[in-house]
Amino acid sequence: MANNETDIKIVAFLCNWCTFTAADLAGTSRLKYAPNIRIVKVMCSSRIEPVFILKVLLDGADGVFIGGCAPGDCHYSKGNFYARRKVALAKTLAKSAGLDSERIRLSWIPASEGPRFAHVVNEFTAHIKELGDNPARREVYI
Amino acid sequence: MSKASTVLIYGTNLSGYRIAYALGKLGYKTVMLNRGAYVDEVRNQVLSQLPFDLCWACAYAPQRLFVGLGAMQIMYNAELLELNGEAGNFTAKIRKRDAFVNNYICTECEKCVDACPVTVEKDGKKQKAVQIVPKMFWENIYLIDEENCTQCGECETACPTGALKMNPPVEEIEIEAGAVILAPEFDEPGKAELATFGWGIMPNVVKSSDIARASLATNFTGDSFKRPSDGKLPQSIAIVVTPHFNEKGIEYENCNASAQAVYRANKIKEMHPDIDVSLFCRDYKCYGKGHCRMYERAKDSGVRVIRTEKLALSAADGERNRISFSTFSTKELTDKKTVHMTILITGQRPPTTMKRLSEICGVPAESHGFCDILPFTCAKTEVNGIFAVGEFTSPKGNPETIWEGYGPLREITSRLGEKNVEKPQPPALRNVSYEKTRTGIFICSCFGAFSDKIDLESLVNRVKGFSHVAHAEIINGCCTPFSIQETAAKIKESGVNRVVLAVCTPTQKMMKFRKTVMMAGLNPLLSELLRLREDVIQVHTDPAGMEDKAAAMIYAAAAKLTTAQAMPTLMDHMGSTVLVIGGGASGLEAARYLGAAGYNVHVVEKTDHVGGMADFLSIDLEGHEIQKYMAQLVDDIEKDVHITVYTDTLVSDVTGYAGNFHVRLETKGTETVAVDPAIVILATGAKEAKPDLYDYGKDERVMTQLEFEQKLANKQITGGHVVMIQCVGSRNPEKPYCSRVCCSAALKNALILREKGIDVTILYRDMNTYGFKDDYFQAAMKKGVSFLRFDENQYPKLEASDATLKIKINDISDGKDKEIIADYLVLSTGMDPNRENNEAFSALFDLNLDDDGFFDVESCACPYEDASKRIMKPFELSSNGVFVVGTAHSPRSFMESVMMARQAAGKAMVILPAAKMPAPNAMYVSEVDESKCTGCGLCVDVCPYHAREIDPIRKVAKVRPFLCDSCGACVVACPSSAAFLRDQREDQLIRSIDGLLAV
Repeated sequence: MANNETDIKIVAFLCNWCTFTAADLAGTSRLKYAPNIRIVKVMCSSRIEPVFILKVLLDGADGVFIGGCAPGDCHYSKGNFYARRKVALAKTLAKSAGLDSERIRLSWIPASEGPRFAHVVNEFTAHIKELGDNPARREVYI
Repeated sequence: MSKASTVLIYGTNLSGYRIAYALGKLGYKTVMLNRGAYVDEVRNQVLSQLPFDLCWACAYAPQRLFVGLGAMQIMYNAELLELNGEAGNFTAKIRKRDAFVNNYICTECEKCVDACPVTVEKDGKKQKAVQIVPKMFWENIYLIDEENCTQCGECETACPTGALKMNPPVEEIEIEAGAVILAPEFDEPGKAELATFGWGIMPNVVKSSDIARASLATNFTGDSFKRPSDGKLPQSIAIVVTPHFNEKGIEYENCNASAQAVYRANKIKEMHPDIDVSLFCRDYKCYGKGHCRMYERAKDSGVRVIRTEKLALSAADGERNRISFSTFSTKELTDKKTVHMTILITGQRPPTTMKRLSEICGVPAESHGFCDILPFTCAKTEVNGIFAVGEFTSPKGNPETIWEGYGPLREITSRLGEKNVEKPQPPALRNVSYEKTRTGIFICSCFGAFSDKIDLESLVNRVKGFSHVAHAEIINGCCTPFSIQETAAKIKESGVNRVVLAVCTPTQKMMKFRKTVMMAGLNPLLSELLRLREDVIQVHTDPAGMEDKAAAMIYAAAAKLTTAQAMPTLMDHMGSTVLVIGGGASGLEAARYLGAAGYNVHVVEKTDHVGGMADFLSIDLEGHEIQKYMAQLVDDIEKDVHITVYTDTLVSDVTGYAGNFHVRLETKGTETVAVDPAIVILATGAKEAKPDLYDYGKDERVMTQLEFEQKLANKQITGGHVVMIQCVGSRNPEKPYCSRVCCSAALKNALILREKGIDVTILYRDMNTYGFKDDYFQAAMKKGVSFLRFDENQYPKLEASDATLKIKINDISDGKDKEIIADYLVLSTGMDPNRENNEAFSALFDLNLDDDGFFDVESCACPYEDASKRIMKPFELSSNGVFVVGTAHSPRSFMESVMMARQAAGKAMVILPAAKMPAPNAMYVSEVDESKCTGCGLCVDVCPYHAREIDPIRKVAKVRPFLCDSCGACVVACPSSAAFLRDQREDQLIRSIDGLLAV
């Protein structure tokens, strides 16, 4: 597959209370960011199973982004800490499966920080572009 | 004559909103008069002095929802002209002018802005004559700049929904109201009042509220405190608490001020540690919860706190400000400091609306110019049926203001007629379980506004080809009353049984979208909402990328819906009994309030009689007779058949949750009693601290303030010299909080002593006389009470002999060591939490204790940010259904405890009438597939809300839908995939992921 900019796909799991709302704010403020990100809304980042993260990479996406509330601000008091552990686990699993754990990014973006959301998305997209296509697109068949 | 049921609310302070919410919930209509042209043009307190700049009041204020339900009517540019009649039958004459844009119909498509031919340059920015004024999260407000508008009418023609109307007329109308609530906004000092500080004269002197306002949408960030003159970061900042230095009677300090000063200092230091920050104040009045700790943190991070009594600001070279201030010894402005920028923390001015409202409504002002309130009531004015709340009645911080809204609820409703708001019944839903899955995609064009930015036709054609999609079409919208009906009809007509709505932001419009789906006869679980506008149209520019992304989102949603199942909203039983734990003043007050409202109340008291700490008090600083009040209270409790008092009783066991608690009460010598309260009010109080200092307990002449007060009441003090030491054993590293009441108690007793001609000397660190209490400090000085101030590191020392008590003090005002001979030494020791007691209840009810050992419950006078969120959501707490009142929550005075009890009782009154409560999250809750559950209990451990338990007999997990907030932590924890979220089951999310990547 060509290393085309529009071809890069990033799946983002965003928690309803913080990062999803930050994306909303970015939207209502008409901030521009790269269109490669595709959002899955979850109520809490703790709903994200490590399987999802691996599945996204195995399905051929080039990056996985997980957004939760800032530590201490979780709507469910500690859901984001659960998420942090799960992402760490997923990264380890990804490595042992031969996937690139650099393609997994966890970030805390509070609801009020729309500009930060746009910035982080742009920055992560640029990072993924540097890494290039996810080789798993071609190599892994499940 | 029948009574009117509508309530008129004048002004938009947060208390007013809170009352509107409560009354709407209870079924009474409210009319709110907004003097401004839009929601927050006239600033209420939260927008003027929020220490945490993120407010969200507009999101949580009830207006959108309640206006939609017909429970609330908001009038803009409104003014009250006349008020006639009496409680139950007021007639109000009102002048109003509708807003240009009806926010309830506006879809924020911005077609009006595009159509406007006028471009004006303002503050270096180009803008149209139609513009969004305050760019907020939830409500973008479109206003017409009447100065520059050419009246061409292009915007009105362009508006697709008819929300924009040019030139709304000025109307005069009459409204029948059963009660009137005065809730005008906060008045902050202006240019004239702040002239001493150079505000409005020197460019680099800014008000904290200006910063708050400017950073509303972004929160307080590194950019929020740039120098206005050159836009650079200042190297040094001074923070000045102006009420301490302004002339008397201009502005008054509330509990926000010191918190705000320290919060700003801390934040600046956090973001830029090398900026030199100094804080100028007379006393640090840190009486709010956690404020002392904030202050200590500021000092630790290098903020220089300068305590001074006099201060002046002048211009220095290079746009800098020179602050001249006195030291305690010189009394003259001898010291100087030059800073790059000054932030003023301002107080509250007496309300400018007072005079007019006084004339119209007949409510008198008190001596400072605020609205006069009857003692021991939250909000009752002298005129029956007229209530005054919030910052209109005295200087108040945000938490007090917000909480006050619930206080007068029972008294308001008792003056009203029959309920006049009927909750609309939800539409009947179709059973689709036997139908073949047919998914319809409905893409919003926002009344044609999206068509310019994305090719919707091509998108529709593309999604029609997807395997899961049976139908796709473009709709006008589903957010205005008409378009909701139109879209619901389209969904019905298409015959689909799964719906994907590709629309816009759910933060504002979620309820409307769900309503659309329900009006089409479908369960909302069979629908998916996509944020087409915020996720695609407004944030991307590349057309191909936009269409790909939109198509992928729609494909994923359709794929997810293939296995969606309809499920009902769950209901839970809601009892109507209340348990009050603690028979002190606040507990009894809450019981009386709810008993009078007709609810059964059980009051539990540990000792053999009710009364608590009030037994030791005779009058308060303002001269209110506490014993008289208590006698009336106890009498009312005894007479009320709804109230049962259990003395000598302990709470031995608690199970259940909000609406359904099961509590066992153990009375000494008798059998245990079981009660099933719906709501628990914890009023367990605190106690006076007994220090191990100054020979206390060894020498009879040394006593605590409370012991002294009793001696004084019993006329045992007849002469001699009384010396009081403030902050004994408190505000130190072991006990880093201010007990709020001791300065008032000392002043009160000192004033009584001076009446009798007895000499008094008060030794203090900071005089924490907040609000109007400062008057008594001034009065005490006039009446000859001697005040000596000591440094926090040099507490006075006691040398006691049989003959005399000799106190040695280093006087901060001249730096000299002094000796005072006293006959009595009175120690202001403050309050200690009932630690053992609190810990026991903390375990029983699963409540958090704060670092000092008091209850740390969000539901009461909570941190500011939380407070503003809780205007609307009474049940959004981790500790649902348990309200902590009085000194169990934090140190507070008798009057404040009683008020807090009423406010909690008012809140309970809003919740209690429902016999059945729907789960707060309706159908979006977690469930258990019992055939897969092994009863391991992992889900129970991870649930943050204790919504899960293991059924003791069947050994499977059980969900209490009432407590579930659908985070999904249980789903992930479950090793056997038995736990699932109704709208996000594992297979659904996997389908979503596949779908997102398939296009």
